[in-house]
Amino acid sequence: MEIENEIENEKKIPDLKKYKLSFHGQGKAYFGILIVNWLLTIVTLGFYYPWAKARNLQFLYGSTALENDRFTFHGTGKEMFVGFIKTIVIFGIIYGILMLFIYLEMPVLGITIFYFLFIAILPVAIHGSYRYRFSRTSWRGIRFGYRGDRNELFLGFFKWIFFTIITLGIYGSWMEMKLRGYLLSNVRAGNVEFKYKGVGSEYFVLNLKGYLLTLITLGIYSFWWYKDLFAYYVENLSMHKAGQQIKLKSIATGGDFFKMIMLNLLIVIFTLGLGYAWAITRTMNFMTSKIKLEGDMDLDTILQTEDDYNDATGDDMTGLLDINFII
Amino acid sequence: MNKTSGKYFDGISSRPQDIELQLDEINAELRFGIYLNTTNRWPLENISFEHIGDSLEIRCKSNLLALIKVIDDNFAEEFISILKAKGHISWYQRIIRLGIKIHLAIAALILGAIIAGYLLFIPWVGEKAVLLIPVHYDISMGQTFYKQYVDNNSIDNKKTKYLNLFAAKLQLRNTQKLHFTVIDSPTVNAFSLPDGHIIVFTGLINLMKDYDELAGLIGHEVSHVNNRHSMKMLCRNLSGYLFISAVLSDVNGIMAVIGDNVHNLQNLSYSRQFEQQADEQGTQILILNGINPKGMTDLFTRLQSSEKVVVPAFISSHPITTDRIVYIKKLIAHSPHQYVYNPTLNELFNKLKN
Repeated sequence: MEIENEIENEKKIPDLKKYKLSFHGQGKAYFGILIVNWLLTIVTLGFYYPWAKARNLQFLYGSTALENDRFTFHGTGKEMFVGFIKTIVIFGIIYGILMLFIYLEMPVLGITIFYFLFIAILPVAIHGSYRYRFSRTSWRGIRFGYRGDRNELFLGFFKWIFFTIITLGIYGSWMEMKLRGYLLSNVRAGNVEFKYKGVGSEYFVLNLKGYLLTLITLGIYSFWWYKDLFAYYVENLSMHKAGQQIKLKSIATGGDFFKMIMLNLLIVIFTLGLGYAWAITRTMNFMTSKIKLEGDMDLDTILQTEDDYNDATGDDMTGLLDINFII
Repeated sequence: MNKTSGKYFDGISSRPQDIELQLDEINAELRFGIYLNTTNRWPLENISFEHIGDSLEIRCKSNLLALIKVIDDNFAEEFISILKAKGHISWYQRIIRLGIKIHLAIAALILGAIIAGYLLFIPWVGEKAVLLIPVHYDISMGQTFYKQYVDNNSIDNKKTKYLNLFAAKLQLRNTQKLHFTVIDSPTVNAFSLPDGHIIVFTGLINLMKDYDELAGLIGHEVSHVNNRHSMKMLCRNLSGYLFISAVLSDVNGIMAVIGDNVHNLQNLSYSRQFEQQADEQGTQILILNGINPKGMTDLFTRLQSSEKVVVPAFISSHPITTDRIVYIKKLIAHSPHQYVYNPTLNELFNKLKN
């Protein structure tokens, strides 16, 4: 009888739990990693770059914790090096085609093909990057994964780019939300599914307002714009598992962003750039402490579901194209 | 002894399992029991670990997803020292564990090497690169600039003719054909292009009182052309820029920006070196042509009186005029010279002035 009552109660009032997201990386530890990366990259004339990138991610992921258990990045320099070489070959071929057409005195056709290939490579690179990066991330031994379909993303991407071009960039807000929605909604952590529900119209209004007010206030409003963007990204993301969920909330204010960004700028400038490590650890600390997680999910019962995937080409391509990884 | 408790995640579910673990130094393995009766053994040689803050995470190569988490500083210290003693710690982890002081020293060392490389290596590369670049490249570069410049400014044809006649009377040690152009403008300025085009503004000519000043100006500008100063500047600029971005841009954006600005300041100092060289050789040209070298100092005195704003030497590309006058006076005092009045030059100079 008592047990039944308990079950009844649970159904009526779902027990909302808070989950702690935190960052434990120290500036001086990160400084050591960056300096050693720098030294080895110079000494090896740049060939250490993929290993440096792996070390960097290992530190940043490994210093971030959910409920005091750290995330792990399992990617290795070797995997990234192979991806790095493949990336160089792919870009070499694209530039080679451009040069060939210039040599054949058909520069217009050459440049058209060049841009077409460049745009075509973006969704492929993003797809590869998501697959690799997530399959190499784990928490409590549970692997993350990205289950998006490359062809579907490819077609969608072309459609969105097309609309963005014919609307002179206005569709860009919709494109960004559709892309983010597609990518993040295909992320898994074991049997936990991620969902992103941000929409273009809201995002467009938010950006329009942010842009205009930033202009009027000579840039001062930009910190409040950041705050709105951060909140919009964070609060539209949620996690689901068998009817249980976790919702995210941002508690950052414009003033918080102002303080964080200004102090970071001062730190980096007055240390002639050497304080970069502290600026990053402070930023990570800021972000994790300003995101609040709440829900009824039992984090002790997540099951392993995702496969291993070790091709880092997409990750290296996005790195070379300087596309930031969302999340 | 080397015993502690921790949590074990089996890589199948996210459920934490409480474990007791023991570090066995003799058998070189880590032992831990799950459900009290089954004992797992992880050989130390297959172990990888991460020690961030107070938490130690241990993994085994046979199953990279399973992990043991221990929060026990004493155990962590002992665990790491045993791994170290058995040689299971990579060179990378050794460097990382050296601590902030050593890392700061490494940073200082790299920065020092970059500065030394920049100050010693780049000017040398610049000089050598110029030798590899054929002169016709200087010529086409100068011509392109000249065309654009002349299109947007009005040439004084009569004065251009007189200036060319004036220069033709001088021995200029030039390696390239020289073309002089007078631009009708109140600006007090003159400059040379790498292809031998030398442009003088009427504003500067009007300021001069004697033909030896004009000869001094020509000597100075011709020396820039003779020494390929423009191309040298370009080579130093480019090689310095490439060097700075190669070593700094991987670190972070701000460091690269700082590097670029330091590089720009350094370029100004290069350009001051070139100005000084042109002053020296210009003065020698005056002496060579039997013209009073005082023309050079007179020219600068007039420039100085026309200068409205005093720019500090470290940010101005021309060495501050007073410094230049003092330097040239010293130079003249140390060089034996004779001069005679040259009526032809004087006549041409007067025609130019009118």
